[in-house]
Amino acid sequence: MSRIPPPIFKSESTRTAECDKIVVGVADMAVARDAHKSIVTYALGSCIGVTLYDPVAKVAGMLHFMLPESTVSPDKAAINPAMFGDAGLPLLFQKVLDAGARRERLIVCAAGGAEVLADDGHFRIGNRNRTVLRKIFWKLNLLLASDDTGGQHSRTMTLRLIDGQISIRSQGKDSLLWPH
Amino acid sequence: MASLNETIAALDRLPALPATTIQLISMLAGEGRDTDLHEVEKIVSRDEAVAASVLRRANSAAFGMRGRVAGISDAIRRLGTRELCRIALETQTSGLLANAGRSYGLRRGSLSQSALGGAVAADALARAHTSSHRIDREVAFVATLLRDIGKLAIDAVAGADALEKIAAAADGRPFLAYEREVFGADHAELGAMLCQRWSLPDEIVRAVRGHHEPPSSPSEPLTDIVHAADCVARWAGLGLGCDGLMYPFDIGVRERLGTTRDELEALVADVLAATATQPTPGILNSGNLNSGTLHSGTKPGNALKRTA
Repeated sequence: MSRIPPPIFKSESTRTAECDKIVVGVADMAVARDAHKSIVTYALGSCIGVTLYDPVAKVAGMLHFMLPESTVSPDKAAINPAMFGDAGLPLLFQKVLDAGARRERLIVCAAGGAEVLADDGHFRIGNRNRTVLRKIFWKLNLLLASDDTGGQHSRTMTLRLIDGQISIRSQGKDSLLWPH
Repeated sequence: MASLNETIAALDRLPALPATTIQLISMLAGEGRDTDLHEVEKIVSRDEAVAASVLRRANSAAFGMRGRVAGISDAIRRLGTRELCRIALETQTSGLLANAGRSYGLRRGSLSQSALGGAVAADALARAHTSSHRIDREVAFVATLLRDIGKLAIDAVAGADALEKIAAAADGRPFLAYEREVFGADHAELGAMLCQRWSLPDEIVRAVRGHHEPPSSPSEPLTDIVHAADCVARWAGLGLGCDGLMYPFDIGVRERLGTTRDELEALVADVLAATATQPTPGILNSGNLNSGTLHSGTKPGNALKRTA
């Protein structure tokens, strides 16, 4: 990942940040088709944030899922599929296509999947979230363009619809996830 | 960098826990552990914010099948002592914690949400373990609610980006180790000192002190539960600042509690549902999308949200 260059028009950038931000909560998703907006999700720990972006249709979707498999709580998955990777990822994909994106143009990125310190392999929620991500993408025939996962730190992920730029903020530093 | 003395001196400058909260906690954790509804009523009626929460809860969907209540005494009767104490404690600690955690990079309200999320998990864990240990659910709830209160003291002594710098340079040790190096004490110890100053029961002081590093011999069942509940809250994405997940899940606690991975994951889902800022999660509908936004929407009756 490379450092984000400072914005050329600072006031414009501030305005965008304040007014046109769509916030995706934990176990939540959003699909947008408005080039003036950006989509952001905070506090990605073991959770994973996934973005799908079509640069031609300017359609973007973001999912913030919390747990890998909906089998642990099928009733909650029925109410809110965005809580689980296995239920939320296919739904995000479908919603993005419904909004006018084309599969062959999709740029797919992911961030998060951190682990608690010194997990001896028992829980590994972050790791299993990463596994379910790969599994579902394999089924959907999608490839990750870029990802920033693992470690112990939390991340904030922001996608800008105008050009699909994805930035990650973690431990006080910004970095660019896409384009490389 | 602050000396231990400077850090401890910061404790004096912090807002105190309301006297009514201390009264309630002492009542809950007291010798006979019997709570007097009349006393609780008096405490609740004296605090406007608490009274408003009590009315709101009594009229919420969970209690709403029997018509609306307008008066505080009706609400109190409908909710019962246990629920009443919880609402009072939740409201009062969340006021204290609303702005806490700034030095960890937490947004306003994050730490109150994490306090409540952990407390909900602790309650469930205590309920599940009543057979092996006698853990009072109310005490587990309160101790977990207060576990990060020491972050107020760190906020008071840490410079603007001090903790972010520590986190960026972290070399794989638990975050408490860095706090001790830089401030002379970690947030768990400082939280315990605060609880002691407020004359809270000793078992709560010990649980707050050990919530990231629970003692193993002899082990303390209450501390074990607060420790596990804290991890569950983190997995639900609550209270994650620049310290992230730099806290271990103690293997001894896992073995003593005997909670399976699936059980803990189900609890993570429950905790999120209990603390959602937007109440009940809804299903993302397919709809006609013009130039707006489809959101999975977590508001009841508003499965599809448009933000044009």
